[in-house]
Amino acid sequence: MTATTADPTTSESRTPRQVWQRVRGLLLAALVLVVAGVAFAAVRSGGQHGRLDPRSGDPYGSLAAAELLRDRGVSVDVVTTLDEAAGATGPDTTLLVTGPNMLTAHQQQRLHAATAGSTGRTVLIAPEGSSVARLVPGVRQEARGPVTARPPRCELPAARTAGTTDMGGVLYSTDAHEAIGCYPDDELASLLVLPGRGNGDTVLLGSPDILHNDRLDQQGNASLGLQLLGSRTHLVWYLPSLDDPSAAENGSGSRNTGDDRGAGGESEFIGLIPSGWLWGTLQLALAAVLAALWRARRFGPLVTERLPVAIRASESTEGRARLYRKADARDRASATLRSATRTRISPLLGVSPRDADSPAVLLPALTARLGNTGSELSSLLFGPAPTDDAALVLLTDQLDALEREVRTS
Amino acid sequence: MALTGRAALVAALGSLPVGILAPSWTGMLAVNVPLSLAILCDYALAAPVRTLQFTRSGDTSVRLGDTAAVQLTVTNPSRRRLRAHLRDAWPPSSWTSEAEQASSRHRIAVPAGERRRPTTLLRPSRRGDRQADRVTVRSFGPLGLIARQGHHRVPWTVRVLPPFTSRKHLPSRLARLRELDGRTSVLTRGDGTEFDSLRAYVAGDDTRSIDWRATARQSAVAVRTWRPERDRHILVVIDTGRTSAGRVGDVPRLDAAMDATLLLTALATRAGDRVNLIAYDRRVRAQVRGRTAGGDVLSTFVSTLATLEPELVETDARGLSAAALANAPRRSLIVLLTSLDTAPVEEGLLPVLPQLTQRHTVLVAAVADPHVEAMARARGSVDAAYQAAAGTQAQAQRRRTADRLRRHGVTVVDAPPHDLAPALADAYLALKAAGRL
Repeated sequence: MTATTADPTTSESRTPRQVWQRVRGLLLAALVLVVAGVAFAAVRSGGQHGRLDPRSGDPYGSLAAAELLRDRGVSVDVVTTLDEAAGATGPDTTLLVTGPNMLTAHQQQRLHAATAGSTGRTVLIAPEGSSVARLVPGVRQEARGPVTARPPRCELPAARTAGTTDMGGVLYSTDAHEAIGCYPDDELASLLVLPGRGNGDTVLLGSPDILHNDRLDQQGNASLGLQLLGSRTHLVWYLPSLDDPSAAENGSGSRNTGDDRGAGGESEFIGLIPSGWLWGTLQLALAAVLAALWRARRFGPLVTERLPVAIRASESTEGRARLYRKADARDRASATLRSATRTRISPLLGVSPRDADSPAVLLPALTARLGNTGSELSSLLFGPAPTDDAALVLLTDQLDALEREVRTS
Repeated sequence: MALTGRAALVAALGSLPVGILAPSWTGMLAVNVPLSLAILCDYALAAPVRTLQFTRSGDTSVRLGDTAAVQLTVTNPSRRRLRAHLRDAWPPSSWTSEAEQASSRHRIAVPAGERRRPTTLLRPSRRGDRQADRVTVRSFGPLGLIARQGHHRVPWTVRVLPPFTSRKHLPSRLARLRELDGRTSVLTRGDGTEFDSLRAYVAGDDTRSIDWRATARQSAVAVRTWRPERDRHILVVIDTGRTSAGRVGDVPRLDAAMDATLLLTALATRAGDRVNLIAYDRRVRAQVRGRTAGGDVLSTFVSTLATLEPELVETDARGLSAAALANAPRRSLIVLLTSLDTAPVEEGLLPVLPQLTQRHTVLVAAVADPHVEAMARARGSVDAAYQAAAGTQAQAQRRRTADRLRRHGVTVVDAPPHDLAPALADAYLALKAAGRL
């Protein structure tokens, strides 16, 4: 009963070579995906990258305009957060907001509050929709028009000097009397100048094209751009960015000041916890990940096995009993029980099993043995089916009693 | 690769220095970089799993209910010490309880170039072949932070044999057989019909058995002794169809039939008869041609029956009869282990029975269900009354079926599982005594 097997290569684990052969295809696919993604992004981003950025020399950048302004003695500061932009407003400062639509509602309100009180100039490039009402109340956006070479048709000195420029885009109207609208398209201004407090004013530009590198040398674009942005000694070039903390202050931009307190309370709570606890929790989370890896690794796979069926041999008999019960088959049940009793007592009475079902043979033998009256025995052994369940139970008991009597007599 | 709880614990303890001394990225790095390095070193220093060598030895067969020991020899050919947990996986029915299953897990330490031999104890809960699954090894590094994990397949099969619980009835039946044989000291004339030998008369011998012709030749009175026929053929046919799958108690009818087969085989082999076996449902599932001499007939039977399982198909009675006739070329006793359910017998067996009874003596043995008997005796409530009716009817049908078989000249043995084997042995002895083999 004892034997031995020997096989030196029983391992089922993969060798490093096999592992490499398996994963190299996947690695290659991942590499192709990354390379393709990078190449695609590089091709697609091209001209749009650095849009209106005073540091960008791309066709849609604004390096040329910024350099010209610097040559004329205007200091150009690039800011990316609202706090810096709002803090830089002043009487001899021009604030250029390149993407007012990118600001959240909360940021727009703060920007308006900062610029409304200032005596400097604010230049907003193509605000649209609900942004217009928040940034410059009283001005409405009416329509959009094509960007083409347009004559000024207004009294603004800068526009008159510049002459025809590439204007259009978003078109505005206002009820303010002192507002000056230039470069109109169907009576709606694409350049709107709103005088503010003191010396200050707000300029709305329907399209940014006059500041783009590739258009600066056409028409009177450079002249208009330099006059609008170079009227003060400082120029703050505000490029809104997504990582501006003020953008997160108020959840999704369309909601209003109601949430301010809640957000402040939460950050205060986290601020109150000592940093040691936070870092300790982070380390504990790392430990939890390790523990999960520890518990998740199975010690070998489950072993499967074909199991035999488990059927009870008596199932059909039990089913028949339940069926009798459900159908109230007292006639069948009583007939079966009576027949069984007759079969069992007939050999004790000296009656052949063939005659067990005949009353004429069985009953006289039974009467002779027990001395009982025949009619009682006849109804017990050959009578009609019981009418209710209680009678059936009684019948079984009586049949048992009769059999006992025959056996003991 | 498998991390250990120790690595997670160290990382958790690391939260104390991080939280108290250096709550910053620097602190996190100061704790986790050394931990990662330690884990990497540990992994590099753990003994390799792939180069381990495994061989098995030990039991290849075990009786159901007994314990088999299978040794697994682990050789560590590497130059590093192996500290490992080892799981010797077998199918779940190789053990009767979860607790016993723990014996398949081993913790071993094998120094470089040495070998160890852990033993896995199996106590199977079912009959049949148990095949070893994979051996999973988790080799820990010296720090116990991480382990290399891998599998080896080391094939081994343990055949679980039928328990042969009716063995205990064998001595009493052998004693009766010796009585028949006339070899006992009891002074009765040996039953049987075959002339055996002459011996000297001893006071008390039956005078009818005195051989006067031999007495005339000799000076002393000689008596003839008789012995039962020898070298008769017995064919055991086990029905493995759907009716054999039904469980009586917690054991399939097939297992009770096997137990009876084994007792009959043991007895008949001692009696000098030749026993063949076929198991049939729609085709031959197992077949043994027994030999007259040699004690290994029983072990051949046992190991053949070990892997037999009921099939959930209706038995092809015509095919069964043909297979039986093909396996019984000479006049034989055909022992048919099947059921006495009305439909399979009336539609399947009865039409083909004359073919069998024409040349052979047929004995039908069936397993009765004690639960049906208990149902027939149920009393006291409405449910019980209906159960009694159903149980009685089932018994009556069974009896009718048995009577119809008897009318064909077939001997019928109908007994509950634990009584079937002795009842069948008694029926065999009765047939032998009557010289009907």
